[in-house]
Amino acid sequence: MKTVDLKKLQTAANRLCFDMSEEEYQTLLNEFRTITKQMELIAEDKTIDQYEPMIYPFPCVINDLRDDEPINPSNRDEILKNAQNKLAGQIKVKKVNG
Amino acid sequence: MNYLDLTIKEIHEALVNKQVTPLELVNEALKRAKEDKCNAFEYIMEKEALSLAKTLTEPEKDNLLWGIPFAIKDNISTKGVPTCASSDILKGYVPIYNATIIEKLLKKKAIPFAKVTLDELAMGGTGATGHLGKTTNPYDVSHERMVGGSSCGSAAVVSSAIVPFALGSDTGDSIRKPASYAGLVGFKPTWGRISRYGLFPFTPSLDSLGFFTRSVYDSALILNIVAGYDKNDFTSSREKVDDYTSDLNKPIKGIKIAVIKEILESVSDPYIQKKFQETLKIYEELGAKINYVSVNHHLLKTLFPTYYIISCAEATSNNANLDGVKFGLNLEGNTFNDSLIKTRSEGFSERIKRRFVIGSYSLMAENQNELYLRATKNRHKIVDEINKVLKDNDVIFLPASPSVAPKFDNKIDQLEDEYLIADNYMVIANFAGLPSITIPTGFVNDLPFGFNLTASAFAEKKLFNIAKALEDKLGYYNLSARTKK
Amino acid sequence: MDFEVIIGLEIHVEMKTKSKMFSASPVAFGAEPNTLTSPYDLAFPGTLPLPNKQAVINAIQVAHALHMKIDNELHFDRKNYFYSDLPKGYQITQNRRPIGSNGYLDIVIDNKVNRVEIERLHLEEDTAKQLHFPSYSLIDYNRVGVPLIEIVTRPCIHSSDVAAKYVETIREIVSFLEVSDGKMEEGQLRCDVNISLKKKDDKKFGTKVEVKNINSFNYIKIALEYEINRQKNELLKGHQIVQETRRYDEANKATQTMRLKTDSVDYKYFPEANIPIIKLSQDFINHAIESSNELASDKRKRYLQEYKLNDYDTSILLSNLAVARYFDECSKFSKHYKAIANWIIVDISAFLNKNAITIDKFNIKPKVLVSLIDEIETGKISNKIGREIFNYMLEKNVDIKTAKSALNITNQESDDKVIRALVNEILDNNEQSIKDYHAGKDRALGFLIGQAMKKSGGKINPSITSKIMIEELKRRK
Repeated sequence: MKTVDLKKLQTAANRLCFDMSEEEYQTLLNEFRTITKQMELIAEDKTIDQYEPMIYPFPCVINDLRDDEPINPSNRDEILKNAQNKLAGQIKVKKVNG
Repeated sequence: MNYLDLTIKEIHEALVNKQVTPLELVNEALKRAKEDKCNAFEYIMEKEALSLAKTLTEPEKDNLLWGIPFAIKDNISTKGVPTCASSDILKGYVPIYNATIIEKLLKKKAIPFAKVTLDELAMGGTGATGHLGKTTNPYDVSHERMVGGSSCGSAAVVSSAIVPFALGSDTGDSIRKPASYAGLVGFKPTWGRISRYGLFPFTPSLDSLGFFTRSVYDSALILNIVAGYDKNDFTSSREKVDDYTSDLNKPIKGIKIAVIKEILESVSDPYIQKKFQETLKIYEELGAKINYVSVNHHLLKTLFPTYYIISCAEATSNNANLDGVKFGLNLEGNTFNDSLIKTRSEGFSERIKRRFVIGSYSLMAENQNELYLRATKNRHKIVDEINKVLKDNDVIFLPASPSVAPKFDNKIDQLEDEYLIADNYMVIANFAGLPSITIPTGFVNDLPFGFNLTASAFAEKKLFNIAKALEDKLGYYNLSARTKK
Repeated sequence: MDFEVIIGLEIHVEMKTKSKMFSASPVAFGAEPNTLTSPYDLAFPGTLPLPNKQAVINAIQVAHALHMKIDNELHFDRKNYFYSDLPKGYQITQNRRPIGSNGYLDIVIDNKVNRVEIERLHLEEDTAKQLHFPSYSLIDYNRVGVPLIEIVTRPCIHSSDVAAKYVETIREIVSFLEVSDGKMEEGQLRCDVNISLKKKDDKKFGTKVEVKNINSFNYIKIALEYEINRQKNELLKGHQIVQETRRYDEANKATQTMRLKTDSVDYKYFPEANIPIIKLSQDFINHAIESSNELASDKRKRYLQEYKLNDYDTSILLSNLAVARYFDECSKFSKHYKAIANWIIVDISAFLNKNAITIDKFNIKPKVLVSLIDEIETGKISNKIGREIFNYMLEKNVDIKTAKSALNITNQESDDKVIRALVNEILDNNEQSIKDYHAGKDRALGFLIGQAMKKSGGKINPSITSKIMIEELKRRK
C-alpha cells in the first residue's frame, strides 16, 4: 500500500465522479490517518493471513439457478418515468465523451 | 384511552371487537404525525393510508396485522411513493416496485403510513445526517439528544406512539442501537431470513431488514409474516419459517447466557453496569446459567476499522447507480461526464463522499490487500471467535449502548481516534449474520436504555423466548415517550 | 530484422437465451427501444441479481468444446467503473474463478496444427446500447444484461491467419452449439486483439497495442496485417511502440488511435455478495455437456470419414448450421450421402439464392427430398426427370406423387428380366449391328440401346439397359 496524500485522494474522488471542497479533503486526510492507524492493529496480528476473506456471514452455498423463462417486461413509460430527459423512447444524456 | 398507545396485539383485539376502525387509527396517526417535533418524516402517506384504511371494514380475527398502520424507513422501495433514503441524490425518485417486505405486509392488510428518516443512505449512527437534518429523541423535550441511527425516523415514530411498529434496516447496529436510545424492542433477524429485495443496499453481506416494536411479542409476530425465501433475493434463506410466537412463554431454565467480559468492562456508565448486574440476577433466578467469557481485547479494538473498511468499500459500488440518468437528482453540465460529476458532487453530502473515497481507496489493487482484504479476513476471525462463544451458549447478553442517548456534538460522524468497543460491538451480529434483539431495560434521568441479546443463526425462536422472559420480569413493556408521563 | 508477432484475443459472445443474465427480462433483437427491461436492468435501488441457468449451461458447453476445466462452483465479482452504458456503475463478472479455465483450440492451416491456448472463459452481462449524436446521446437498455461469455486466449498466437481462423472457429462453435448466432456484424461476437512485436531473440515482450472495433470476419486478417506492418515499420524506424487502444477503420482499411493507455484501469474488483456461491454438481455439468448440440468439428469428421464426402462439400455443408441440420436430417433417411450433398449444394442452393430465402424456409422437407433422391439413385427415374419433378414440386408446392402424375411420369423400368427380354428381342432383329459391335464399331452399341429405348417408349432405365445390352452382346460373340 502506498502512502496517502491529498493528490491521491483527489484522484480517488474524481474517479468516483464527484469533487469535494479543500476543507473536506483535509478532514478526509485526517480520517485516513485514523483509519490507517486502526487498520495497523489488524496488521499486527500475525495469524490474520490464515483466515480466508469472508464474503458471506456464514457458508452460503445453493444448488439452484433461475430458470430461463422471461417475464413480461416493464412498461416503457413506467420504467422511464423517473428519468429526467427522454427522446424517442430512450434516455437522453449529454454528449458522451470518448 | 388512545388505541395507538397500545401494542399491535392489543390494537388487534380492539379492531376485532370493533372498538376502533383502521380509518380511526390512521386519522389519529395523522394527527400525531403532524404534531411531530422530532423531524422523523420524509413523506406521510396520507392519501394512500386513508384510502386503504377505508377499504378495511371487516376485521380478520386471525390476522393480527389487519388494519395496523406502520412506518417504513425511507431506504425501502415503495411503489408510487417517493423514496430517497434521506439523500438529495435520490430527490424525486418514485420507485415502480414494492420491496418484498412491503408486499408481504400489504397482503396482510397492514397499512403503510409513512416513509421516515434515516442517516443519509443509512450510512451513519446518529440520525443527524439525513438531508432533512437531525431526527431527535422523543424522550428529550429539548430535542438536544439523538435517537440514534441510522433508523432514526423509525425509532422516533414508534417511540412517539404514532405507529405501533416501523421497519428499519441494520448494517452495523442501525436498529438495535436506536432501540436502546428510544426505549424500544429493536430486532434484526439472521442474514437471509427476510428478503432484502427492495432494501437499498449499503453493504449486502451485512445488511438486514428488521423492525421496531413496543413488545417482544409484536416483534415475533411480524417476523412470522415477513420471513421466508423470496425468488427475487438469491441470498434469502430456504430455511423453514417457524411460528416465532409459539415458544415465547417457555421457561428458560437451563439456558446458557454468555457475557463477554471485555465488552462489558468497556461500558463506563455505573448505573447501566448496576442495572446489568440486576438483570443477570433475574436471569439466574429464572434458571439461566451466566457464563462470563473472554474475547481478545485486541481483536475487539479492530471491530470498528473492520466494519468501516468493509462497509465503505462496498457502499461505493452499491451507490454507483446514483448518477442522475435513470432516476433521482440530475444536474446538467456540458457533457455526460460533467453532468455526472455535478450531480454526484451536489447529491451526496460531504461525509458520504468521504466514506466513498475511503472505500474506493481500500478496493484499489495497490491497497486491497492491506485494507479491504485484510478487513474481510479479520471479519472472519471475529466471526470464528463469536461462533465459538455461541457453540457453548444460547445467547450473548450485553448492554446495547454504553450510555443513554447522547447529545449531538459538532463532530457528527467523523472518525474518532478512540477505540469505542461498547459503542461498536453490536456489529458482530452483522459480521456473523446472527439474529439480535435489543429490549428496553431501564432509565437514567428519564432517558431509556436497553440491553441486547444475540443468538446463533436461525435461532430466532429461542432469542425471542429469552428476551420475553426478561421483558416479563422487568415490566418494561409497551414503552413510549408519549405514555411515560 | 526478423520480428516475432505475438497476438492474444478476447472474444465476447452475446448469448441467445430467452431471458437476461441476472434478470428475467426477455432477450430479443430488433425490439423497440426500452421495451425489454425491468427495474433490475436500470439499476433501481434494491433490485438484486438472479443468475440465469441456461446461460450457465451454455457457458459449460462452450468451455467443454474448448477443452477447458470447468469449475464446480460459480463465483461472481463486481467490476467497478462509471460509464453511460453501465447503469449499475459496475458489471457483474467472474474475476477470481472463471467457470472455464485452461483450455485450447487446435487451428489447422495447411496441415499444420497451431494450438491456441485459452486462459479463461467467464460469464458476464452486456451493457446498454447508445446512439451518439453531436450534442447528445440516447440510451436503450434492451441490451443491458444480455448474457455474455468472454473467452480469453494466452498471448500465444503468432500470425494473423491463425488469429482469424481461431475467431472463425469460435464463431462456428458457438453457433453450432446454438449458444449464439455469432454474427459479428450485429455485435453478437466481438473481438479485441492485443498485438505486440518483438525481435526474434528478445526475451521480453514488446509494447502491446489493443485493436478494437473489428466488425466483420472479413476484416480480421486485414486489420491484423495492417497493425503488424505498422508496428514493424515503426520499429524499423527506431520508434517506440505507443501503448494504446486503436480502432479498425473499415473505410481506410487501417487502424487508428482511439485512446492512449496510461495506467491500466483499476476496476476495484471485489466479490458479489448478492449472489451466493452456486454449487454445480457433476450431474449438472455432465448433463449440460451431454445435451450439447453436435459441434461442427464432429460433423466434419463424420462427413469426411463416415460419409466419404470431399473437403469442398463438407465445408459448404458446414458453413451454416441450418444447412448442416438439413443435411443431417436427410442423412437419417438415406445413405446416398454424396447425392444428398450435391442436391443441397447445387439445386437447393440455387433455388434459395434465386428466391433470397434461407434453408429453414425451404418447402421440401428432408424426408421428401430423400425419397426423390432415392428414386433417382435406384434408377426408378432418370436424373433429368428427377429435376423436373423437383422443380414442379417447388413451383406448385405439391408432393412427389402429385408432381409425377401431373407430369405424366411413370417410373422407369429397371427389372432385369423385362429389360433382358426386350434387349434380346432387339438383338434378334439386328444381326448386322451385333457383327459391327464385335468388329469394334462403338456406334453399334448406341444404336442398339437407342432401339431398345425407343421400343420401350423411353420407360426403361438407360444405364441398366446398357449394362444388360453389353452382357447379351458378349454372349452372342
